[in-house]
Amino acid sequence: EPSVIDDEMLKKAVEEQGPKEEAGKIAKQEGIDYCDVLSLRLDFRNILKVDNLWQFTKLTKLQMDNNIIEKIEGLDALVNLRWLDLSFNNIEMLEGLDKLTKLEDLTMYNNRITRLENMDSLPNLHVLSVGNNKIDQLDNLIYLRRFPNLRTLNLSGNPVCDDQGYKLFVVAYLSQLVYLDFRLIDEDTRQKAHSLYENKLGELMHNEKQAEVARQAEEDAEKELMKHKVSLEAYVEHLNTPLLFESMYKEDPEGMKLSLLPGLQDMLKDFQDKFVDVCLKTFEYGMKGYGKRCTELAEFNACIEAAKSENKRQAVKVIDEFDERKKKLFSELLVTSDAVDQEQKVSNQYLSKLFILLAMNEYHEDVNAIWDVLMGFEMQLVDQLEETIKDFERNMTDMTSQLVEYIQGLITQLRDLENAHNEKLLEMCMSVLEKVVKNEMDEELPDDLRMLFVDKDTIVNAIGASHDVHLIKIDNREDEIVTRSGSWLTGCLQDIQAGECARNRARVVEISSYIDHLRDEIDTLDLPEAIARS
Amino acid sequence: DYSEYPESYKENTNKEKLILAYVENYRRQYVHLFRDRKPLFLNPLNECGIEKFVCTTLRPTLLSYKELYHWQGCAEFTADYLTMKQLEPPQELPLCLLSPSTILKRQLGNCFDFSNILCSLLLGAGYDAYVVSGYATKEICLTDESRQICPLLQPKEEVKKEAAKPEPRKYSVKPPRDLRSKFIIKMEARKKKEEEEEEKKKQQEEEDKIAELEKPPPDPLYGLRIHAWVLVRGGKREVPEDFFIEPFTGRSYPPSSTSFLGIESVWNHTNYWANMQNCASGCKDMSFDLMDTEKWEFMLAGSDQSQIEIPDAEEELYDMDDDEKENEDEKHLDMPASWVLPILVTKNQYEMRCPQGKKTILYKKAKLEKYANYLLKDGLVTRLSVYTNNELTDLNKVQEWYENREDKLVTRIHQDGLITEDFVEGRPRSLQQHLYKANNPGPEAERTMTFFHKARVDGLCKREETPAEITEHFINRDDFLYLRHVLFGKRQKKVAPATAEGTPRPILKITEKFHRNVSRPASEDVAEQVFVLHEDKIQVTYHREDPNITASTRDFFKPPNAEEKGGNLQWANDMTSTFQVNPHGAPSKNLSIYENLLMLIQTEQKSIQLVRVSEEEVRDILMDRQKEELASELAISVYDTERNEKAKKHRKELERLAMEEKLRRQEMEMDYLAPFLAQIGNPDKINKSQAFKLKEDCLADLKQRLIDKANLIQLRFEKETSELHKRQQDYQQKQVAMTKEDEEQYFNYCSEAMFRIHILELRLNRHKQMAPHKYMQLEQKLRQDQRLSAIHSIFG
Repeated sequence: EPSVIDDEMLKKAVEEQGPKEEAGKIAKQEGIDYCDVLSLRLDFRNILKVDNLWQFTKLTKLQMDNNIIEKIEGLDALVNLRWLDLSFNNIEMLEGLDKLTKLEDLTMYNNRITRLENMDSLPNLHVLSVGNNKIDQLDNLIYLRRFPNLRTLNLSGNPVCDDQGYKLFVVAYLSQLVYLDFRLIDEDTRQKAHSLYENKLGELMHNEKQAEVARQAEEDAEKELMKHKVSLEAYVEHLNTPLLFESMYKEDPEGMKLSLLPGLQDMLKDFQDKFVDVCLKTFEYGMKGYGKRCTELAEFNACIEAAKSENKRQAVKVIDEFDERKKKLFSELLVTSDAVDQEQKVSNQYLSKLFILLAMNEYHEDVNAIWDVLMGFEMQLVDQLEETIKDFERNMTDMTSQLVEYIQGLITQLRDLENAHNEKLLEMCMSVLEKVVKNEMDEELPDDLRMLFVDKDTIVNAIGASHDVHLIKIDNREDEIVTRSGSWLTGCLQDIQAGECARNRARVVEISSYIDHLRDEIDTLDLPEAIARS
Repeated sequence: DYSEYPESYKENTNKEKLILAYVENYRRQYVHLFRDRKPLFLNPLNECGIEKFVCTTLRPTLLSYKELYHWQGCAEFTADYLTMKQLEPPQELPLCLLSPSTILKRQLGNCFDFSNILCSLLLGAGYDAYVVSGYATKEICLTDESRQICPLLQPKEEVKKEAAKPEPRKYSVKPPRDLRSKFIIKMEARKKKEEEEEEKKKQQEEEDKIAELEKPPPDPLYGLRIHAWVLVRGGKREVPEDFFIEPFTGRSYPPSSTSFLGIESVWNHTNYWANMQNCASGCKDMSFDLMDTEKWEFMLAGSDQSQIEIPDAEEELYDMDDDEKENEDEKHLDMPASWVLPILVTKNQYEMRCPQGKKTILYKKAKLEKYANYLLKDGLVTRLSVYTNNELTDLNKVQEWYENREDKLVTRIHQDGLITEDFVEGRPRSLQQHLYKANNPGPEAERTMTFFHKARVDGLCKREETPAEITEHFINRDDFLYLRHVLFGKRQKKVAPATAEGTPRPILKITEKFHRNVSRPASEDVAEQVFVLHEDKIQVTYHREDPNITASTRDFFKPPNAEEKGGNLQWANDMTSTFQVNPHGAPSKNLSIYENLLMLIQTEQKSIQLVRVSEEEVRDILMDRQKEELASELAISVYDTERNEKAKKHRKELERLAMEEKLRRQEMEMDYLAPFLAQIGNPDKINKSQAFKLKEDCLADLKQRLIDKANLIQLRFEKETSELHKRQQDYQQKQVAMTKEDEEQYFNYCSEAMFRIHILELRLNRHKQMAPHKYMQLEQKLRQDQRLSAIHSIFG
């Protein structure tokens, strides 16, 4: 009867296929973690549904042939899988292989597959066996062109093989193949196939090339996006476009209405040009500032790394020297302790014991000294880094405030532009109002614009509202830049501090554990009981 | 031998006579102007006792040896090829100057001969070279180099590369504070400096003392000894500035050298210049701008470079020779062609270099011996012996250079009881250098072998040995191994009969060190594994993870005979002890430790095997070296047609075969059966009777021809004899009435006739001897002829 993959089955399989002999015994005692298993065989078990394999993350080879599996599923966790054998099952469709990007060998022999599909994420595929299935479309085989490493293909026993031109078709379209249906493809066949399908292949290749071009374009777009991301990091995104200017008018109904005033278009155009020009300046400056920050950070990191590696070199040297001393001492101790055991004379025995005791004392002192030295190095490094980090902090703060100040200056220019524009507009509106009042207007004004020119208050209010909206927009942008740069700085400095703190802790722990180990070592040394006790 | 020389040696052409007249004029002016100066070297006698102008004795020649394209090669060749002969007496110019070809034949010459040849070669190679006649110190004139350091020993000028100082970086950490007292440091530095200065002073004094002692004894003839050398002026062939070449030694000197004391004149193949500068302080301040008429007085106006207006004073002097005045108004006299034979050096002579192919030079505390290639059986070409004292008795170091050795040995150095041998690439096992003790060349002794690691599969670059240790260094191995160190114990004395190899030394410890393999995590990547065989212990140290200063270690204690048990090895928890750097990391599972142990046990066996292989290799290399040293064969290039015996033999063999082939073809062309076959109509098949007949006919024909020939010779002989007889009788009758002329004619005829008769007689005898041979030969041939095989067949 059908069964499912359960814990019991897995445990049994793993144990059966695991290490043998003495190693097996140990494994049994300890238990084997599924995540350490590299290959697994689950064949002839009447499995209907694939499940419970999510723990086998290191698995490279999985054999599940001769079951009654109907659907490929539950393999998403096995990202390291290189061999997959699902032959002699009842699978009807290729699917669920998307996560197995390292797959090289896929065997689906004797199933009920009708189409080759859903394998786009397997670029490393080397061997594909889909014999004895129900593939019947010759054109469907073109799908396999996307696997540049495919060398071996087995299709025998499919309806498609009955086609007269099957073999030549496959050879022509899949030129990367070396073996087809268990046979080496000879040069003769290759040439025949090539000449037969030359035209069609050319067309296909042309199409593929176009697809390639399209992909290139996509990449370019991505690059553009990257640039945008960079400008985001530099807090000046979109300032190289008239987006800010446009957004000022977008949320400003009065301004939109007023812009229809005759003669205003030119003024507006002029205003926009100047405005965008200053924006662009801001953008460039922001980007420059970003570049500067990056180099500064890189320089800082490089120096910190240099200091750390130098410190490490010193510490390693001290440790290596100590190790040499330790080895020598230990071998001496062992020799002497052997002598103690064999020594007959009490006085000599006593002397040797004394020597051992002295040596052990010396060793302990040495260990203490080493601890002092290593800790000294660490303290020194901490001091050095602290100072450097402070320098860096100061420089970075200066740099940021300088940037912010400059940008603020530029934004003030924006504000001035807006003010000037506003004044001009007011003046113009006043003259228009006069004309309207005197009915000397040459041109017809749109209705909603005419509504504004009822009296002086209305028009002044409208212009004032528009001006306010613009100013608020500009202020918001400024605030955004200031806060973002501030928060980046604090974040960056915090990261550095935290990293340094963690490093220091880890090093101290490391030193302590090393010192403990050294002390343990002499205690566990194979010395006569009597001495060890005394 | 006088008659051997060509005409140009024995006579002067008109032009040469003209130039000699010119020279005479020049000399007269010179003597007139400088009464107190020594005579110039202008027109010495040649080997045939004819006066020749020195400029015409030069013959610019470029020989077809690539070393002779550079001045170093030319100078070395001249110095090596000729034996020097000092001037006699040393303060006077020689009376004759021989042609270069004569000197090259004799391989013996004085400084003028040397300079003449060297200058010819340099001019041929395109240098702006001149022969200089002047004065030099005794050491230079007598080629006494025993106060000079051997050029091979001169310390090479080291190109010191200033290590690019790292630029001070913005965020470099400050060095830890120096807590020592600055005052004390200062005082110490001062003290040290003082000590150093004292030391320096002492050393200087010592050196001065030695220099004083080594100073040459004063020379009574100082400044009078005549010498000739070569001046090479800068400007041509990328020579940056003027320098001298001393022809006896081939060394170059700057013009400021104190060894050259003065210059009388210089010349090349186009002109002759007398020096007008004061040489009181040697050649230090001399200008070699030959166009400067203030400083140099030329002989021939208008010859190539001296395009200067002739001063009026000169004009007056020319008036003395009236008949030449006419010619000289517009045209200048140019130098006549050289009278000497072309300079030829055969390849054999060039390779022999020194007379008899050997030369020994004594330097300060050193002796240099040079030998021609292939002269010595062991391929030695240079030997430099360095001594610790000036008397050359206390040998310190011997350096030998070899060439063309079959075993690729190039240098060997003996020093302090150590021998260093260097090899070039191409040996089996890729040995590059072998350093060993002279008194203990056997295996298991102290030695260092360096290898061409790129040519070796195992990447071995160096193997150092002491009696109890082997250290092997590797480079670029796939398994990242870079060092294997083996410690041996003492051989146990056994009663068992020793085998030929002897028992192998017991291995106590093997240490293997590895580079970091970045594809594995550091905590699993072995940095060092130590197999302590006598304690049954394996110690593994892993690489340090990046920020860590300590490394994880793991020790295994093997149960005895673990290697034989394989997978059946019993596991016990006390078989291992571990130190893990990260105390919070998950401890390794027993299973992986166990597998690790099994693998290490296997590795241990493999390493032991490799150590034995290494020992074996050392023994093999030593054996090979011994054999090679005994054989000391020289390799001969396949392109060396002179020396390559095999090629020579092969060529001769080819020639012989070609000759035989030619003979055979001639024979083939003369078919002896053709006319007889034609008689019977060239049948395809010949039956027995036909064949028999053919044979008979053929033989009969030959017999007939031989007889005919014999008869013919006989006939002529008789005719000749009778004619002579007749004339003799005639003569006797008319003897008295004959004129002297007729008589002479008769005697002439007689001697001629006698000669003819004699020849005919010889031919007849020879024919008689050869005829039976020829007959037999034909019969033999007919018997073997395929076409007549029917004779021997049983079926007719």
